[in-house]
Amino acid sequence: MKIALFIPCLVNHMQPNVGIATVELLEKLGHQVILPEGQTCCGQPMTNSGCFEDAKKTTLKLLNAFKGIDCDYIVCPAASCMIAAKENFHEFDCSPEATAVIGKLKELTEFLHDIHGLERFNKPFNHKVSLQMSCHGIRMLDLATPSEIKGSGGYNKVEALLSRIEGIDIAYPERRDECCGFGGTFALDEGAVSGKMGKDKAQAHANTGARYVVGFDPSCLLHLDGVIRREGHPVETLHIAELLNQAL
Amino acid sequence: MALIGGIESHASAAEKFNRDVDRVNWHDKALWNLRHKRDLAAESQPEWEDLKQLGSEYKLHTLANLKHYLTEFEANCKKNGIVVHWAKDGKEHNEIVHSILAKHNVKNLVKSKSMLTEECHLNPYLIERGIDVIDTDLGERIIQLNEQPPSHIVVPAIHLKKEEVGELFHRKIGSEKGASCPTYLTKQARAHLRQKFLEADAGLTGVNMAVASEGAVAIATNEGNADMGVNLPKVQIHCMGIDKIVPNMDAASVLSRTLARNATGQPITSYTTFYKGPKEGGEMHVVLVDNGRTKLFQDELLAEAYKCIRCGGCLNTCPVYRRSSGFSYNALIPGPIGIAVSAGDDETHSLAWACSLCGSCTQVCPTKVPLDKIIFKWRRIHSEQGKLPYGKNGYMPWVGKFMANETMLNLGMASARTALRILPDALMKPFGMDWTKHRELPKAPKTGSFEAWFKKNRENK
Ligand code: SF4
Repeated sequence: MKIALFIPCLVNHMQPNVGIATVELLEKLGHQVILPEGQTCCGQPMTNSGCFEDAKKTTLKLLNAFKGIDCDYIVCPAASCMIAAKENFHEFDCSPEATAVIGKLKELTEFLHDIHGLERFNKPFNHKVSLQMSCHGIRMLDLATPSEIKGSGGYNKVEALLSRIEGIDIAYPERRDECCGFGGTFALDEGAVSGKMGKDKAQAHANTGARYVVGFDPSCLLHLDGVIRREGHPVETLHIAELLNQAL
Repeated sequence: MALIGGIESHASAAEKFNRDVDRVNWHDKALWNLRHKRDLAAESQPEWEDLKQLGSEYKLHTLANLKHYLTEFEANCKKNGIVVHWAKDGKEHNEIVHSILAKHNVKNLVKSKSMLTEECHLNPYLIERGIDVIDTDLGERIIQLNEQPPSHIVVPAIHLKKEEVGELFHRKIGSEKGASCPTYLTKQARAHLRQKFLEADAGLTGVNMAVASEGAVAIATNEGNADMGVNLPKVQIHCMGIDKIVPNMDAASVLSRTLARNATGQPITSYTTFYKGPKEGGEMHVVLVDNGRTKLFQDELLAEAYKCIRCGGCLNTCPVYRRSSGFSYNALIPGPIGIAVSAGDDETHSLAWACSLCGSCTQVCPTKVPLDKIIFKWRRIHSEQGKLPYGKNGYMPWVGKFMANETMLNLGMASARTALRILPDALMKPFGMDWTKHRELPKAPKTGSFEAWFKKNRENK
């Protein structure tokens, strides 16, 4: 398939390795990958603070980057940016072109699980990983059934994908999908609570004895990485794209 | 909704609470325990999600047809011999309650289960007028003796440790010094309250549900105190927000199945009583209060906050509430639902930001109140009114311009990568002192931007 990448500003500038792994793994799976020009940010830092007017120009710039681009899907390796883009696009532009763009947006895990149907990996990954089930991916994108939902079975696309890798040992922190405390500007506005949430989450991950904290949301991982290094836990963060790429 | 405390921002109050790490951990754990019990109770119901859906639809339907059901309720109450009163705000509510008490020359009033009377500041109003008001729920009694508002809507004294309660009881009701055994303390409270029940001339309770088709009000307690308070004296008064109405017993039974399970993990509270008329020779009054509710009903999304049945589940699951405690909210009702109903009145304009938007509250709620969406909307409303906290008015427009400008963003971020420190002031904020108080700065990537990598390694191939 022809895939256009949506690379959020944080990935582009601070975690290029996540973008590179995304390209490499999609190509290994036989897809053609393109990077439409002119992407900056989805507007989430502004809309999360209620500042829709301040977000408008940024959001529309991103939307315009994808309008009219010939591709099957627009894939993004960051769940919360993906959701924010979807919602913000819709907020500012209801044209058929905008709707077409919104319809093509897929988070990476979602794409690999639902669309590509990734079943086989070539290389083992002989490590224990503790999964970071970030809020936006779980509760807004339905990557897995949130822990609050009961009595109706449940599914977990992240675990389903990873469990197909030989040798991997999957663990969860206690309170498996409690928020890590990043929350965009929440980390600054509510420093004390955010810091405490991060500390508790990092500790819970470390308690699993895993080598890596693996997640699909680069911003949560960036925050957790900072806390883990501050607290000196013997665990490292790893984005799911990098893990999957290593196993292909 | 009523506000409490001063005009401190949530973040600042939360920061103070967080200075005592042991207390934060203890508070967090006590409430997570409730969430855990709730999970087990919900899991035991295969149809749990259907119950939530039904609960949500019943409440939404009722709110959409509020006038119809309130009228039906009033008519049926009258048939049952209940006197119905209407109050547009807290002041009217207090006046009505006082006039009933004054008419019967009531000196001692026992109360139970009412956040609404807290909202209307009934206690000080009556005490000023010479009436002895005793809250009889154990938790409520504790905070009444401690002269504090509730810090949680279901477990109002959850902020106090048992040792602190022991000390308080020693001072106020003469229990043994140094005692902290919960059984002993509960017995002391019981003996103390028994006397109050016997002396009472009137009983007042809140209402969990008011059933329109029956003209009845339902009250759920674990201690049986509401029933003691109501059954002994001649006069009984029930105060309720107009959002407490449900159409019929089917709706009441659906909501009863989720209320206690979602609150404490119990299948149902120990006592769930429907009061359908006065006792022989007695009087039963119901006071229906608006106090700002219809104002919020006008907004389709904000109105959904009134689907709430006050189970407290969203407080227990909220990672922010658990780590900041009820008093940091500057609102009578704390936690996600507190923000949803009080953010419009918050002078600090910080309430709506006391949330990481994780969405756990929305998923846990038995009536599917879209709490995170409502909180998000409050932020937007504040922004549109130019009332943003934490300096956002100043820096957000700047961030907006910065993010929309590729050249500026690329340049800024390139220097950030190499130095992680030369960002323009506004963008420094995310990576400046506030960030590093609690975590290390991000590790600068070894390569340049992803875009540069892609141009170099892919586009020309
Ligand atoms: S909003 Fe929902 S979860 Fe929160 S107290 Fe109300 S009913 Fe319970």
